[in-house]
Amino acid sequence: MSDAESPDADVRGDDYDHDHRGPGYSTPQAAIEESDPERLAYVMGLYVGTDVDAPDFLAVVDVDPDSESYGEVVDRVEMPDRGDELHHFGWNACSSSCHMDGLERRHLIVPGQRSSRIHVIDAEDRRDPELTEVVEPEEVFDYDLSAPHTVHCIPDGEIMISMLGDADGELPGGFLLLNDDFEIEGRWDPPGEIDMNYDFWYQPRQNVMVSTEWAAPETYYPGFDLEDVEAGKYGRRLHFWDWTEKEVEQTIDLGEEGMIPLEVRFLHSPVSTHGFVGAALSSNVFHFYEDSADGGRYRAEKVIDVEDREHEDWDMPVPGLVTDLLVSMDDRYLFFSNWLHGDVRMYDVSDPANPRLADRIWAGGHFGPSHPIDGKREVVGGPQMLQLSLDGERLYWTTSLFSSWDEQFYPGEGEKGSVMLKADVDPRRGTMELDGDFLVDFGEMPAGPARAHEIRWPDGDCTSDVWQ
Amino acid sequence: MTDAHRVVLAWDEGRVEALSVPADETVLEAAGRAGVALPVGCRTGACGTCTGRVLAGSVEHRRPPRALKGRHLAAGYALLCIAEPRADCRIRVGGVLSDLVENPWK
Repeated sequence: MSDAESPDADVRGDDYDHDHRGPGYSTPQAAIEESDPERLAYVMGLYVGTDVDAPDFLAVVDVDPDSESYGEVVDRVEMPDRGDELHHFGWNACSSSCHMDGLERRHLIVPGQRSSRIHVIDAEDRRDPELTEVVEPEEVFDYDLSAPHTVHCIPDGEIMISMLGDADGELPGGFLLLNDDFEIEGRWDPPGEIDMNYDFWYQPRQNVMVSTEWAAPETYYPGFDLEDVEAGKYGRRLHFWDWTEKEVEQTIDLGEEGMIPLEVRFLHSPVSTHGFVGAALSSNVFHFYEDSADGGRYRAEKVIDVEDREHEDWDMPVPGLVTDLLVSMDDRYLFFSNWLHGDVRMYDVSDPANPRLADRIWAGGHFGPSHPIDGKREVVGGPQMLQLSLDGERLYWTTSLFSSWDEQFYPGEGEKGSVMLKADVDPRRGTMELDGDFLVDFGEMPAGPARAHEIRWPDGDCTSDVWQ
Repeated sequence: MTDAHRVVLAWDEGRVEALSVPADETVLEAAGRAGVALPVGCRTGACGTCTGRVLAGSVEHRRPPRALKGRHLAAGYALLCIAEPRADCRIRVGGVLSDLVENPWK
Protein backbone atom coordinates (compact mmCIF):
# COMPACT_ATOMS: atom_id res chain seq x y z
CA MET A 1 0.00 0.00 0.00
CA SER A 2 1.26 3.44 -0.80
CA ASP A 3 1.65 5.93 1.96
CA ALA A 4 -0.19 8.37 -0.18
CA GLU A 5 -3.35 6.38 0.50
CA SER A 6 -3.40 6.77 4.20
CA PRO A 7 -4.49 10.30 5.16
CA ASP A 8 -7.42 10.18 7.54
CA ALA A 9 -10.66 11.58 6.28
CA ASP A 10 -10.66 14.34 8.89
CA VAL A 11 -7.32 15.65 7.66
CA ARG A 12 -8.76 16.15 4.21
CA GLY A 13 -10.58 19.26 5.34
CA ASP A 14 -7.81 21.34 3.78
CA ASP A 15 -8.30 24.28 6.09
CA TYR A 16 -4.86 25.72 6.18
CA ASP A 17 -3.18 25.67 9.52
CA HIS A 18 0.49 25.73 10.09
CA ASP A 19 0.72 22.22 11.43
CA HIS A 20 3.55 20.58 9.64
CA ARG A 21 2.89 16.86 9.82
CA GLY A 22 3.09 15.90 6.15
CA PRO A 23 5.82 15.96 3.50
CA GLY A 24 8.21 18.77 2.79
CA TYR A 25 8.88 21.91 4.77
CA SER A 26 6.57 24.43 6.39
CA THR A 27 8.07 27.43 4.55
CA PRO A 28 10.69 28.06 1.84
CA GLN A 29 13.07 29.32 4.53
CA ALA A 30 12.48 26.10 6.51
CA ALA A 31 13.51 24.16 3.39
CA ILE A 32 16.79 26.08 3.35
CA GLU A 33 17.43 25.64 7.08
CA GLU A 34 16.21 22.10 7.66
CA SER A 35 17.36 20.29 4.53
CA ASP A 36 20.63 18.39 4.38
CA PRO A 37 22.82 18.86 1.31
CA GLU A 38 21.60 16.54 -1.45
CA ARG A 39 23.54 13.28 -1.67
CA LEU A 40 21.63 11.73 -4.56
CA ALA A 41 20.07 13.14 -7.68
CA TYR A 42 17.44 11.55 -9.87
CA VAL A 43 18.00 12.26 -13.56
CA MET A 44 16.03 11.25 -16.64
CA GLY A 45 18.17 9.16 -19.03
CA LEU A 46 17.07 8.61 -22.63
CA TYR A 47 17.68 6.33 -25.59
CA VAL A 48 14.58 7.24 -27.57
CA GLY A 49 15.28 7.85 -31.26
CA THR A 50 18.72 6.26 -31.27
CA ASP A 51 19.72 2.79 -32.40
CA VAL A 52 20.47 1.77 -28.81
CA ASP A 53 18.08 -1.09 -28.18
CA ALA A 54 17.16 -0.19 -24.60
CA PRO A 55 14.39 1.66 -22.81
CA ASP A 56 14.81 5.08 -21.19
CA PHE A 57 15.71 5.06 -17.51
CA LEU A 58 15.78 6.92 -14.25
CA ALA A 59 19.40 7.44 -13.23
CA VAL A 60 20.39 7.68 -9.57
CA VAL A 61 23.47 9.89 -9.42
CA ASP A 62 25.81 10.11 -6.46
CA VAL A 63 26.30 13.81 -5.68
CA ASP A 64 27.93 13.33 -2.27
CA PRO A 65 31.46 14.77 -2.52
CA ASP A 66 32.58 12.50 0.34
CA SER A 67 31.52 9.38 -1.51
CA GLU A 68 33.88 7.23 -3.59
CA SER A 69 31.31 7.17 -6.39
CA TYR A 70 30.87 10.97 -6.47
CA GLY A 71 29.66 12.01 -9.90
CA GLU A 72 28.72 8.48 -10.99
CA VAL A 73 25.42 6.89 -11.95
CA VAL A 74 25.01 4.37 -9.11
CA ASP A 75 21.68 2.87 -10.12
CA ARG A 76 19.36 2.85 -13.13
CA VAL A 77 15.66 2.05 -13.17
CA GLU A 78 14.73 0.93 -16.68
CA MET A 79 11.26 1.57 -18.04
CA PRO A 80 9.30 -1.44 -19.30
CA ASP A 81 9.05 -0.23 -22.92
CA ARG A 82 11.28 1.54 -25.43
CA GLY A 83 10.46 4.92 -26.92
CA ASP A 84 9.14 6.90 -23.96
CA GLU A 85 11.29 10.05 -24.17
CA LEU A 86 11.46 10.53 -20.42
CA HIS A 87 11.56 14.29 -19.94
CA HIS A 88 10.07 15.95 -16.85
CA PHE A 89 8.90 14.16 -13.72
CA GLY A 90 7.73 14.91 -10.21
CA TRP A 91 6.84 13.71 -6.75
CA ASN A 92 3.51 12.42 -5.51
CA ALA A 93 3.67 14.99 -2.69
CA CYS A 94 5.66 18.11 -1.84
CA SER A 95 5.53 20.98 0.62
CA SER A 96 2.09 21.99 -0.71
CA SER A 97 0.84 18.98 1.28
CA CYS A 98 2.87 19.71 4.39
CA HIS A 99 -0.40 19.82 6.35
CA MET A 100 -1.35 16.31 5.22
CA ASP A 101 -0.61 13.88 8.01
CA GLY A 102 0.46 10.50 6.65
CA LEU A 103 1.32 11.67 3.15
CA GLU A 104 4.94 11.09 2.18
CA ARG A 105 7.20 12.34 -0.58
CA ARG A 106 7.88 8.84 -1.80
CA HIS A 107 6.69 8.11 -5.33
CA LEU A 108 8.13 9.61 -8.48
CA ILE A 109 5.67 10.12 -11.33
CA VAL A 110 7.64 9.70 -14.56
CA PRO A 111 5.78 10.30 -17.84
CA GLY A 112 6.95 9.38 -21.33
CA GLN A 113 6.68 12.55 -23.40
CA ARG A 114 6.38 10.64 -26.68
CA SER A 115 4.75 7.43 -25.51
CA SER A 116 2.15 9.05 -23.20
CA ARG A 117 2.90 6.19 -20.78
CA ILE A 118 3.06 7.25 -17.12
CA HIS A 119 5.35 5.38 -14.71
CA VAL A 120 5.26 5.35 -10.94
CA ILE A 121 8.53 4.68 -9.13
CA ASP A 122 8.59 3.92 -5.44
CA ALA A 123 11.62 5.72 -3.98
CA GLU A 124 11.12 4.69 -0.37
CA ASP A 125 14.66 3.36 -0.58
CA ARG A 126 16.19 6.52 -2.01
CA ARG A 127 19.22 4.72 -3.40
CA ASP A 128 17.35 1.77 -4.84
CA PRO A 129 14.03 2.99 -6.28
CA GLU A 130 11.68 0.53 -7.95
CA LEU A 131 9.14 0.81 -10.74
CA THR A 132 5.79 -0.19 -9.24
CA GLU A 133 3.00 1.00 -11.51
CA VAL A 134 2.38 1.91 -15.12
CA VAL A 135 -0.52 3.84 -16.63
CA GLU A 136 -0.67 2.68 -20.25
CA PRO A 137 -1.04 5.17 -23.12
CA GLU A 138 -4.48 3.83 -24.09
CA GLU A 139 -5.82 4.81 -20.67
CA VAL A 140 -4.50 8.34 -21.23
CA PHE A 141 -5.88 8.54 -24.78
CA ASP A 142 -9.33 7.64 -23.40
CA TYR A 143 -9.39 11.18 -21.96
CA ASP A 144 -8.43 12.60 -25.37
CA LEU A 145 -5.06 13.72 -24.04
CA SER A 146 -1.45 12.87 -24.87
CA ALA A 147 2.14 14.04 -24.44
CA PRO A 148 2.45 14.41 -20.66
CA HIS A 149 4.89 17.10 -19.55
CA THR A 150 5.02 18.84 -16.17
CA VAL A 151 4.09 16.90 -13.04
CA HIS A 152 2.98 18.81 -9.95
CA CYS A 153 1.43 17.27 -6.88
CA ILE A 154 -1.46 19.36 -5.64
CA PRO A 155 -2.37 20.00 -2.03
CA ASP A 156 -4.84 17.17 -1.42
CA GLY A 157 -2.64 14.26 -2.50
CA GLU A 158 -3.59 14.30 -6.18
CA ILE A 159 -1.14 14.65 -9.04
CA MET A 160 -1.67 17.00 -11.95
CA ILE A 161 0.12 16.65 -15.30
CA SER A 162 0.12 19.11 -18.18
CA MET A 163 -0.78 17.32 -21.40
CA LEU A 164 0.29 18.94 -24.64
CA GLY A 165 -2.04 17.33 -27.13
CA ASP A 166 -5.20 15.35 -27.73
CA ALA A 167 -5.17 11.60 -28.35
CA ASP A 168 -3.96 12.16 -31.94
CA GLY A 169 -1.17 14.55 -30.98
CA GLU A 170 -3.13 17.56 -32.21
CA LEU A 171 -4.54 20.45 -30.18
CA PRO A 172 -6.02 21.11 -27.71
CA GLY A 173 -4.03 19.91 -24.74
CA GLY A 174 -5.16 20.07 -21.15
CA PHE A 175 -4.42 18.67 -17.70
CA LEU A 176 -4.71 15.11 -16.39
CA LEU A 177 -5.35 14.27 -12.75
CA LEU A 178 -4.14 11.12 -11.00
CA ASN A 179 -5.54 10.17 -7.63
CA ASP A 180 -3.39 9.12 -4.69
CA ASP A 181 -3.56 5.49 -5.90
CA PHE A 182 -1.99 6.71 -9.18
CA GLU A 183 -5.10 5.98 -11.19
CA ILE A 184 -6.45 8.46 -13.69
CA GLU A 185 -9.16 10.47 -12.03
CA GLY A 186 -10.01 12.49 -15.11
CA ARG A 187 -9.31 15.83 -16.68
CA TRP A 188 -8.65 18.74 -14.41
CA ASP A 189 -9.79 21.41 -16.84
CA PRO A 190 -12.86 21.77 -19.01
CA PRO A 191 -11.76 20.61 -22.52
CA GLY A 192 -10.96 23.49 -24.84
CA GLU A 193 -10.23 26.00 -22.10
CA ILE A 194 -6.77 26.31 -23.66
CA ASP A 195 -5.37 25.27 -27.00
CA MET A 196 -1.60 24.92 -26.48
CA ASN A 197 -0.03 23.84 -23.24
CA TYR A 198 3.40 23.25 -21.78
CA ASP A 199 4.55 24.08 -18.24
CA PHE A 200 2.50 25.26 -15.27
CA TRP A 201 2.96 26.45 -11.71
CA TYR A 202 0.31 27.12 -9.12
CA GLN A 203 0.38 29.57 -6.23
CA PRO A 204 -2.53 28.35 -4.12
CA ARG A 205 -2.54 31.14 -1.51
CA GLN A 206 -3.18 33.55 -4.40
CA ASN A 207 -5.69 31.19 -6.04
CA VAL A 208 -3.74 31.40 -9.29
CA MET A 209 -2.11 29.01 -11.71
CA VAL A 210 -0.09 30.03 -14.75
CA SER A 211 0.42 27.85 -17.83
CA THR A 212 2.59 28.32 -20.92
CA GLU A 213 2.59 27.22 -24.57
CA TRP A 214 4.90 25.08 -26.70
CA ALA A 215 2.96 23.69 -29.68
CA ALA A 216 0.93 20.66 -30.72
CA PRO A 217 2.88 17.42 -30.25
CA GLU A 218 2.59 16.69 -33.98
CA THR A 219 4.36 20.03 -34.53
CA TYR A 220 7.27 19.88 -32.06
CA TYR A 221 7.79 16.10 -31.86
CA PRO A 222 9.50 15.64 -35.26
CA GLY A 223 11.77 18.67 -34.78
CA PHE A 224 11.88 22.44 -34.99
CA ASP A 225 10.68 23.69 -38.39
CA LEU A 226 10.79 27.45 -38.94
CA GLU A 227 7.91 27.02 -41.38
CA ASP A 228 5.73 26.05 -38.38
CA VAL A 229 6.72 29.24 -36.56
CA GLU A 230 5.74 31.28 -39.60
CA ALA A 231 2.44 29.38 -39.77
CA GLY A 232 1.65 30.39 -36.18
CA LYS A 233 1.91 26.85 -34.88
CA TYR A 234 4.14 27.76 -31.93
CA GLY A 235 2.89 29.42 -28.77
CA ARG A 236 3.53 32.85 -27.27
CA ARG A 237 0.86 33.24 -24.61
CA LEU A 238 0.56 32.89 -20.84
CA HIS A 239 -2.67 31.71 -19.28
CA PHE A 240 -3.61 32.77 -15.76
CA TRP A 241 -6.14 30.41 -14.22
CA ASP A 242 -8.49 30.65 -11.30
CA TRP A 243 -6.97 27.75 -9.37
CA THR A 244 -10.13 26.64 -7.57
CA GLU A 245 -12.57 27.30 -10.43
CA LYS A 246 -10.22 25.71 -13.02
CA GLU A 247 -10.94 28.41 -15.57
CA VAL A 248 -8.66 30.72 -17.51
CA GLU A 249 -9.20 34.21 -16.10
CA GLN A 250 -6.72 36.04 -18.29
CA THR A 251 -4.51 35.33 -21.28
CA ILE A 252 -1.48 37.45 -22.06
CA ASP A 253 -0.04 37.44 -25.57
CA LEU A 254 3.69 38.02 -25.18
CA GLY A 255 4.04 38.90 -28.87
CA GLU A 256 7.11 38.44 -31.04
CA GLU A 257 9.41 38.98 -28.07
CA GLY A 258 7.77 36.11 -26.21
CA MET A 259 7.84 33.25 -28.70
CA ILE A 260 7.62 29.78 -27.14
CA PRO A 261 7.26 30.56 -23.44
CA LEU A 262 8.44 27.38 -21.73
CA GLU A 263 9.45 26.98 -18.09
CA VAL A 264 7.43 29.15 -15.71
CA ARG A 265 8.05 29.74 -11.99
CA PHE A 266 6.26 31.73 -9.36
CA LEU A 267 8.49 32.90 -6.54
CA HIS A 268 8.45 30.39 -3.70
CA SER A 269 7.05 32.68 -1.05
CA PRO A 270 3.35 31.80 -0.87
CA VAL A 271 2.43 35.48 -0.54
CA SER A 272 4.15 36.46 -3.78
CA THR A 273 2.33 37.15 -7.03
CA HIS A 274 5.56 37.57 -8.97
CA GLY A 275 7.14 35.06 -11.30
CA PHE A 276 9.33 34.53 -14.35
CA VAL A 277 8.98 32.73 -17.65
CA GLY A 278 11.60 32.06 -20.29
CA ALA A 279 10.58 32.68 -23.91
CA ALA A 280 12.82 30.07 -25.49
CA LEU A 281 12.73 31.04 -29.16
CA SER A 282 12.82 34.81 -28.60
CA SER A 283 15.53 34.25 -25.97
CA ASN A 284 13.99 36.62 -23.45
CA VAL A 285 12.93 36.38 -19.82
CA PHE A 286 9.61 37.92 -18.80
CA HIS A 287 8.65 39.01 -15.32
CA PHE A 288 4.94 38.68 -14.56
CA TYR A 289 3.07 40.02 -11.57
CA GLU A 290 -0.36 40.90 -10.33
CA ASP A 291 -0.98 44.58 -10.82
CA SER A 292 -3.03 45.77 -7.83
CA ALA A 293 -3.51 49.14 -9.55
CA ASP A 294 -5.24 47.30 -12.40
CA GLY A 295 -7.84 45.37 -10.43
CA GLY A 296 -5.53 42.46 -9.78
CA ARG A 297 -4.91 41.65 -13.42
CA TYR A 298 -1.57 40.14 -14.35
CA ARG A 299 1.04 41.94 -16.41
CA ALA A 300 4.11 40.47 -18.13
CA GLU A 301 7.14 42.52 -19.05
CA LYS A 302 10.36 41.55 -20.76
CA VAL A 303 13.18 42.05 -18.28
CA ILE A 304 16.11 40.14 -19.82
CA ASP A 305 16.94 40.09 -23.52
CA VAL A 306 19.61 37.70 -24.76
CA GLU A 307 21.12 39.10 -27.94
CA ASP A 308 21.61 36.78 -30.93
CA ARG A 309 25.26 36.21 -31.77
CA GLU A 310 27.09 35.81 -35.06
CA HIS A 311 28.87 32.47 -35.46
CA GLU A 312 31.34 31.84 -38.27
CA ASP A 313 29.79 28.47 -39.12
CA TRP A 314 26.18 29.66 -39.11
CA ASP A 315 24.34 31.59 -41.82
CA MET A 316 22.10 33.39 -39.38
CA PRO A 317 22.81 34.87 -35.95
CA VAL A 318 22.45 32.24 -33.23
CA PRO A 319 19.69 32.84 -30.67
CA GLY A 320 20.51 31.95 -27.07
CA LEU A 321 17.41 29.79 -26.54
CA VAL A 322 16.41 30.31 -22.91
CA THR A 323 15.24 26.73 -22.37
CA ASP A 324 15.12 26.47 -18.58
CA LEU A 325 15.04 28.81 -15.63
CA LEU A 326 14.59 28.51 -11.89
CA VAL A 327 14.35 30.71 -8.82
CA SER A 328 16.42 30.02 -5.71
CA MET A 329 14.47 28.95 -2.63
CA ASP A 330 15.09 32.36 -1.00
CA ASP A 331 13.64 34.08 -4.11
CA ARG A 332 16.78 36.19 -4.47
CA TYR A 333 18.32 34.66 -7.60
CA LEU A 334 17.09 33.62 -11.01
CA PHE A 335 19.20 31.14 -12.97
CA PHE A 336 18.66 30.37 -16.63
CA SER A 337 20.29 28.38 -19.39
CA ASN A 338 21.21 29.69 -22.84
CA TRP A 339 21.22 26.31 -24.50
CA LEU A 340 22.52 27.32 -27.93
CA HIS A 341 25.06 29.87 -26.75
CA GLY A 342 26.41 27.67 -23.96
CA ASP A 343 26.18 29.77 -20.80
CA VAL A 344 24.22 29.53 -17.60
CA ARG A 345 23.44 32.84 -15.93
CA MET A 346 22.69 33.98 -12.41
CA TYR A 347 20.64 37.16 -11.87
CA ASP A 348 19.86 39.01 -8.68
CA VAL A 349 16.06 39.36 -8.67
CA SER A 350 15.68 41.04 -5.30
CA ASP A 351 13.92 43.66 -7.43
CA PRO A 352 12.07 41.28 -9.77
CA ALA A 353 11.24 44.01 -12.29
CA ASN A 354 14.94 44.82 -12.69
CA PRO A 355 17.09 41.68 -12.72
CA ARG A 356 20.80 42.34 -12.32
CA LEU A 357 23.34 39.95 -13.88
CA ALA A 358 25.40 38.58 -11.00
CA ASP A 359 27.51 35.91 -12.68
CA ARG A 360 27.67 33.43 -15.54
CA ILE A 361 29.51 30.26 -16.55
CA TRP A 362 30.34 29.14 -20.07
CA ALA A 363 30.35 25.37 -20.57
CA GLY A 364 29.83 23.82 -24.00
CA GLY A 365 27.27 25.20 -26.42
CA HIS A 366 28.22 26.91 -29.67
CA PHE A 367 30.25 29.65 -27.98
CA GLY A 368 31.55 28.14 -24.74
CA PRO A 369 34.55 25.84 -24.27
CA SER A 370 33.96 22.30 -25.55
CA HIS A 371 36.11 21.03 -22.67
CA PRO A 372 35.03 23.26 -19.77
CA ILE A 373 36.92 20.97 -17.39
CA ASP A 374 40.55 20.25 -18.30
CA GLY A 375 41.23 16.54 -18.61
CA LYS A 376 37.57 15.55 -18.74
CA ARG A 377 35.44 14.65 -21.75
CA GLU A 378 34.06 16.97 -24.37
CA VAL A 379 30.66 18.56 -23.70
CA VAL A 380 28.31 18.19 -26.68
CA GLY A 381 25.28 20.39 -26.13
CA GLY A 382 24.78 23.41 -23.92
CA PRO A 383 23.54 24.01 -20.38
CA GLN A 384 19.90 23.00 -20.34
CA MET A 385 17.83 21.54 -17.47
CA LEU A 386 18.86 23.19 -14.21
CA GLN A 387 18.44 22.21 -10.59
CA LEU A 388 19.59 24.14 -7.54
CA SER A 389 20.23 22.78 -4.06
CA LEU A 390 17.68 23.88 -1.49
CA ASP A 391 20.34 25.95 0.28
CA GLY A 392 21.16 27.69 -3.01
CA GLU A 393 24.83 26.73 -2.94
CA ARG A 394 25.06 24.14 -5.73
CA LEU A 395 23.67 24.47 -9.24
CA TYR A 396 23.57 21.39 -11.49
CA TRP A 397 22.59 21.03 -15.12
CA THR A 398 22.28 18.54 -17.96
CA THR A 399 22.72 19.20 -21.69
CA SER A 400 19.89 17.59 -23.66
CA LEU A 401 16.75 19.49 -24.68
CA PHE A 402 14.62 17.04 -26.64
CA SER A 403 15.88 14.13 -28.72
CA SER A 404 14.73 15.39 -32.12
CA TRP A 405 15.75 18.99 -31.41
CA ASP A 406 19.15 17.87 -30.12
CA GLU A 407 19.67 16.15 -33.47
CA GLN A 408 19.22 19.47 -35.26
CA PHE A 409 21.31 21.71 -33.05
CA TYR A 410 23.82 19.33 -31.44
CA PRO A 411 23.89 16.32 -33.75
CA GLY A 412 26.74 14.65 -31.86
CA GLU A 413 24.98 14.48 -28.51
CA GLY A 414 23.10 11.26 -29.25
CA GLU A 415 26.31 9.43 -30.14
CA LYS A 416 28.44 10.82 -27.34
CA GLY A 417 25.82 11.13 -24.63
CA SER A 418 24.95 14.03 -22.35
CA VAL A 419 26.83 15.26 -19.34
CA MET A 420 25.72 16.62 -16.00
CA LEU A 421 27.81 19.48 -14.60
CA LYS A 422 27.79 21.45 -11.37
CA ALA A 423 28.72 24.90 -10.16
CA ASP A 424 29.35 25.96 -6.58
CA VAL A 425 27.30 29.06 -5.86
CA ASP A 426 28.03 31.74 -3.28
CA PRO A 427 24.61 33.33 -2.69
CA ARG A 428 26.13 35.91 -0.36
CA ARG A 429 28.51 37.23 -2.99
CA GLY A 430 26.42 36.36 -6.04
CA THR A 431 29.10 34.23 -7.70
CA MET A 432 29.37 30.81 -9.33
CA GLU A 433 32.33 28.56 -10.02
CA LEU A 434 32.36 25.38 -12.12
CA ASP A 435 33.23 22.31 -10.01
CA GLY A 436 36.22 20.76 -11.81
CA ASP A 437 35.76 17.46 -9.95
CA PHE A 438 32.21 16.87 -11.07
CA LEU A 439 31.16 15.58 -14.48
CA VAL A 440 28.59 12.82 -14.83
CA ASP A 441 29.25 11.11 -18.15
CA PHE A 442 26.04 9.73 -19.63
CA GLY A 443 28.15 8.58 -22.57
CA GLU A 444 29.35 5.71 -20.40
CA MET A 445 26.13 3.85 -19.67
CA PRO A 446 26.04 0.03 -19.98
CA ALA A 447 23.62 -0.04 -22.94
CA GLY A 448 25.30 2.84 -24.76
CA PRO A 449 25.50 6.65 -24.69
CA ALA A 450 22.36 8.28 -23.28
CA ARG A 451 20.88 11.76 -23.19
CA ALA A 452 20.10 13.30 -19.80
CA HIS A 453 17.25 15.69 -19.02
CA GLU A 454 15.45 16.78 -15.82
CA ILE A 455 17.08 16.56 -12.35
CA ARG A 456 15.34 16.19 -8.97
CA TRP A 457 16.54 15.77 -5.39
CA PRO A 458 15.13 13.16 -3.04
CA ASP A 459 13.85 15.74 -0.57
CA GLY A 460 12.40 18.59 -2.55
CA ASP A 461 13.87 21.09 -4.95
CA CYS A 462 13.59 24.56 -6.38
CA THR A 463 11.42 23.61 -9.36
CA SER A 464 8.67 21.59 -7.74
CA ASP A 465 8.01 22.55 -4.14
CA VAL A 466 5.02 24.87 -3.70
CA TRP A 467 3.60 26.29 -0.48
CA GLN A 468 -0.02 26.67 0.39
CA MET B 1 -5.93 -8.90 -47.47
CA THR B 2 -3.37 -10.98 -45.68
CA ASP B 3 -0.71 -11.42 -48.36
CA ALA B 4 2.73 -11.02 -46.89
CA HIS B 5 5.33 -8.82 -48.49
CA ARG B 6 9.07 -9.03 -48.27
CA VAL B 7 10.34 -5.89 -46.55
CA VAL B 8 14.07 -5.24 -46.51
CA LEU B 9 15.25 -2.84 -43.82
CA ALA B 10 18.54 -1.11 -44.62
CA TRP B 11 20.68 0.87 -42.20
CA ASP B 12 23.17 3.47 -43.44
CA GLU B 13 26.06 1.49 -41.94
CA GLY B 14 25.27 -1.46 -44.22
CA ARG B 15 23.23 -3.71 -41.95
CA VAL B 16 20.27 -5.29 -43.72
CA GLU B 17 17.35 -7.31 -42.31
CA ALA B 18 14.62 -8.98 -44.35
CA LEU B 19 11.13 -9.43 -42.89
CA SER B 20 7.95 -11.04 -44.06
CA VAL B 21 5.21 -8.51 -43.29
CA PRO B 22 1.53 -9.37 -43.74
CA ALA B 23 -0.44 -6.59 -45.39
CA ASP B 24 -2.45 -6.01 -42.21
CA GLU B 25 0.59 -5.59 -40.01
CA THR B 26 2.79 -2.53 -39.61
CA VAL B 27 6.48 -2.68 -40.41
CA LEU B 28 7.23 -1.86 -36.78
CA GLU B 29 5.04 -4.71 -35.49
CA ALA B 30 6.68 -7.16 -37.86
CA ALA B 31 10.15 -5.97 -36.89
CA GLY B 32 9.24 -6.37 -33.21
CA ARG B 33 8.05 -9.93 -33.85
CA ALA B 34 11.33 -10.71 -35.59
CA GLY B 35 13.36 -9.22 -32.74
CA VAL B 36 14.64 -6.31 -34.85
CA ALA B 37 14.71 -3.10 -32.81
CA LEU B 38 13.76 0.08 -34.65
CA PRO B 39 13.48 3.58 -33.16
CA VAL B 40 9.97 4.12 -31.80
CA GLY B 41 8.05 6.81 -29.94
CA CYS B 42 4.31 7.57 -29.79
CA ARG B 43 3.15 4.63 -31.96
CA THR B 44 0.26 6.81 -33.18
CA GLY B 45 1.87 8.60 -36.13
CA ALA B 46 2.38 11.92 -34.34
CA CYS B 47 6.03 11.96 -33.39
CA GLY B 48 8.15 10.74 -36.30
CA THR B 49 10.67 8.81 -34.18
CA CYS B 50 10.07 5.68 -36.30
CA THR B 51 10.48 7.49 -39.64
CA GLY B 52 11.89 5.40 -42.46
CA ARG B 53 12.35 6.16 -46.16
CA VAL B 54 10.75 3.85 -48.67
CA LEU B 55 13.41 3.37 -51.34
CA ALA B 56 11.41 0.80 -53.35
CA GLY B 57 7.90 -0.60 -53.10
CA SER B 58 4.99 1.08 -51.34
CA VAL B 59 3.32 1.33 -47.95
CA GLU B 60 -0.01 2.66 -46.75
CA HIS B 61 -0.49 4.48 -43.44
CA ARG B 62 -3.16 3.05 -41.18
CA ARG B 63 -4.04 6.45 -39.77
CA PRO B 64 -3.00 9.98 -40.75
CA PRO B 65 0.81 10.33 -40.66
CA ARG B 66 0.67 13.60 -38.71
CA ALA B 67 4.40 13.86 -38.10
CA LEU B 68 5.11 14.10 -41.82
CA LYS B 69 4.53 17.11 -44.03
CA GLY B 70 3.61 16.92 -47.70
CA ARG B 71 7.23 17.34 -48.75
CA HIS B 72 8.25 14.37 -46.60
CA LEU B 73 5.55 12.09 -47.99
CA ALA B 74 6.47 13.11 -51.53
CA ALA B 75 10.09 12.16 -50.83
CA GLY B 76 9.08 8.67 -49.70
CA TYR B 77 9.30 9.09 -45.92
CA ALA B 78 6.94 6.89 -43.94
CA LEU B 79 6.05 6.27 -40.30
CA LEU B 80 6.81 2.62 -39.68
CA CYS B 81 4.59 2.45 -36.57
CA ILE B 82 1.51 2.91 -38.78
CA ALA B 83 2.80 1.82 -42.21
CA GLU B 84 1.57 -1.44 -43.77
CA PRO B 85 3.27 -2.79 -46.89
CA ARG B 86 1.40 -2.85 -50.18
CA ALA B 87 4.27 -4.37 -52.15
CA ASP B 88 7.71 -5.78 -51.49
CA CYS B 89 9.72 -2.89 -50.07
CA ARG B 90 13.19 -1.68 -49.35
CA ILE B 91 13.16 0.86 -46.51
CA ARG B 92 16.00 2.94 -45.10
CA VAL B 93 15.84 2.87 -41.29
CA GLY B 94 17.71 4.01 -38.17
CA GLY B 95 17.84 7.68 -37.25
CA VAL B 96 16.03 8.79 -40.40
CA LEU B 97 13.97 11.30 -38.40
CA SER B 98 16.86 13.75 -38.47
CA ASP B 99 16.40 14.04 -42.27
CA LEU B 100 13.04 15.74 -41.83
CA VAL B 101 14.16 19.09 -40.44
CA GLU B 102 17.51 20.84 -40.51
CA ASN B 103 19.01 23.50 -38.33
CA PRO B 104 17.18 26.52 -39.79
CA TRP B 105 19.94 28.99 -38.97
CA LYS B 106 23.01 27.10 -40.15
